[in-house]
Amino acid sequence: MKLTVLLLIGLALAAPAAAQGAPSLSIRPFVMVTDQSFAAADSFKAAFSKTLFPFFGGGVQVLVHDRFFAEFGASHFRQNGERAYRGGGQAFKLGIPLTATITPVEITGGYRFRLRQLPRVRPYVAAGFGSYGYKETSAFADPGEDVDTRHSGFVLNGGAEFRLHRWIGVAADVQYSHVPGIFGQGGLSQQAGETDLGGVAARFKLVVGR
Amino acid sequence: MGGFRARTLCATLVVVVAGGLIVSLRGQTADEPQMLIQEHLGLAAVDEGLIQDDSHTPSSPETRLRAALREALLQDRVGASGGHYRPGRVIVKFRDEVAMPERRAAARAASDTGEIADRPSYADFDIVRIDPAEDAEEAARVLRQRPDVQYAQVAHRVHALFVPNDPLYATQQWNLPLINIEKAWDIQPQAGSSITVAVIDTGMAYQNATITATLPAFRSGGVNYPALGRVTIPYSAAPQLVSATGSSRIVAPHDFVNETATPLDFEGHGTHVSGTIGQLTNDGIGTAGVAFNVKLMPVKVLASEWDLLFAGFTNISNVGGSDDDVARGIRYAADNGARILNMSLGSSGPPDCATRPNQSDCSPVIEAAMRYAVGKGCFIVVAGGNEFEDTVPPYGKNPTSVLAEIASRIPGVVSVAAIDRAKEHAYYSSSGSYVELSAPGGSERGFGSTGFVRQQTFDFTFTDTFLLPPSQYRAPRFDVFGYIGYIGTSMAAPHVAGVAAMLMQQGVTDPVVIEEILEKTAVALIPAGGDQCPPGTSAAAPRTCSFGFGLVDARAALRGLGLAK
Repeated sequence: MKLTVLLLIGLALAAPAAAQGAPSLSIRPFVMVTDQSFAAADSFKAAFSKTLFPFFGGGVQVLVHDRFFAEFGASHFRQNGERAYRGGGQAFKLGIPLTATITPVEITGGYRFRLRQLPRVRPYVAAGFGSYGYKETSAFADPGEDVDTRHSGFVLNGGAEFRLHRWIGVAADVQYSHVPGIFGQGGLSQQAGETDLGGVAARFKLVVGR
Repeated sequence: MGGFRARTLCATLVVVVAGGLIVSLRGQTADEPQMLIQEHLGLAAVDEGLIQDDSHTPSSPETRLRAALREALLQDRVGASGGHYRPGRVIVKFRDEVAMPERRAAARAASDTGEIADRPSYADFDIVRIDPAEDAEEAARVLRQRPDVQYAQVAHRVHALFVPNDPLYATQQWNLPLINIEKAWDIQPQAGSSITVAVIDTGMAYQNATITATLPAFRSGGVNYPALGRVTIPYSAAPQLVSATGSSRIVAPHDFVNETATPLDFEGHGTHVSGTIGQLTNDGIGTAGVAFNVKLMPVKVLASEWDLLFAGFTNISNVGGSDDDVARGIRYAADNGARILNMSLGSSGPPDCATRPNQSDCSPVIEAAMRYAVGKGCFIVVAGGNEFEDTVPPYGKNPTSVLAEIASRIPGVVSVAAIDRAKEHAYYSSSGSYVELSAPGGSERGFGSTGFVRQQTFDFTFTDTFLLPPSQYRAPRFDVFGYIGYIGTSMAAPHVAGVAAMLMQQGVTDPVVIEEILEKTAVALIPAGGDQCPPGTSAAAPRTCSFGFGLVDARAALRGLGLAK
């Protein structure tokens, strides 16, 4: 349902259908699914027993002369696991529920390349910064023991967009993010010596607009 | 008192009957044993009023309720202050004159989805139900601003704070709250139910029995005591260790002093230590224990005066144990299912057993046994020693506690110093760079009897009759119990053993990791007047010679780590 609404909004905001060729300015909404491998792999594996996690989000791209673009995106991650200890090369889960929520808001700027042989494929690279909300709640917490904080970081990404239709494209890219300041000062991340909430993500986008 | 008399009469009757039985059997046996234990023959202990309570078994309604509460916590919302509250509802107290249509209008004004629920019983307030996804704190804030509302609040989650109803817990057991045990019990209501703790000690009062023995004349303190001949002695399980329903919590008992499978405690120390680890709790009787549902394995390696007299010795000065029995006890416990070993025992020796283990007074046999047990997955707790003020030739004042020093060198084995109820270094607690953790051991200095660690064990007026003048010397009876105060690192160690059992129950099965956790979550203590290291030594920060890493914190250890905190 949400996807349908976003598609309709995207179609409404997209450049006029009558336009031939690329417009000088295009506003393109997108929805996005991300599979993230966190840099703090040991910490996440101890609490959640896995290393790849999905984010869901969306945003909007502003495309100038079909080459330069700025992208504003927001996504959300929520995962239930357990409080734990690490030691002796293994994790010991304690059966105490823990929920982690990450809400990145990212702004990037980049450049789209043209491939003469493959006009429907547009490789791109981008860089930018983000603000990362991190929330951690767990059972049996005393006041002040849960975490609710936001820190900034930076991102780099590169990938390609494939035009399925004049108004619809799909994009896949790889994004690296670095988010210091949240991990490493306590908990499993400190025990593992992991200080980065960022990581490497494979992102898949459905873009609406020319 | 009348009950006591009645029980005494009953006990006497049983003893007479048992005695008659023994007399009749005597004629049929050519060699009369020095001592005969007739297991399970005897009355229960004199400690009436035991109430059956299974509220902390895994399947009890109370445990299921706690599990349900824990599950519910997952769905809580967290308010601005960090507190948890139930989503989807706001508690509102309207002024009495406000009619229901106005209340409904107020609820809708606070939230588009707001509606007044049917008033619950025993409530003088209303519940406004809202969409669980909505911010209940904001809805409460809007309602509070209305003149027709007396108060409005979210439904804060009330966290169960288990405080056992054992009457002496609140009045006498300062030691258990000191290790933050109540919140640890909230986390783990089953309190170690699947873990077996071996108590390597003087034995344990774990079953009823009738003992028949020939007591010889003996000499003690330069005084001659008469032979009492053949006597029959009642023995009872400590009712606060083993419930009247049976002894299912007792696992593989063994006696390395008398080489039997009946490690009855004739001294009281092992029973007291066992009480700190696993006294029956929340049954409305007596005192509480740390991991009150653990299984207990009595492993007797220390002889008492009565062990010697029952064996026919005429000199009772040679009480205690020896390295070989202790080492065998450790290996036995490791091979028979114990996961935590408590060793409230020790000896003094040179400070350099690590580099010269074969010199006199070192105990390489115990070190080898400890390493064997840790290799089999056992976590071991060793008392830190009680000789801080003592001078032991040739090692001088505050000599090294040999077993505690060994403990400090083996990951998975910890040495435990004692603190008093003011969290100060207990005056007797041996100090050194080998001390790893601290726990309540008690002290009478400055506190009198309120500074003791109290658990159920024998009423010594009925057991230590060899301390009476010869004219009053009589056979003992081991069926009268009281809540007796002890002090010592022997009392500190079982606190740590209990917490370790709970930690293992919580899922940490590696003894090395258990030690790391207990040390990292310990509350650092600063010695008043400076650290008390032996001359020429120091402890590596953050440790101190007085406290090691600090006071064990049961709640912090059990709660574990989140990702960021």
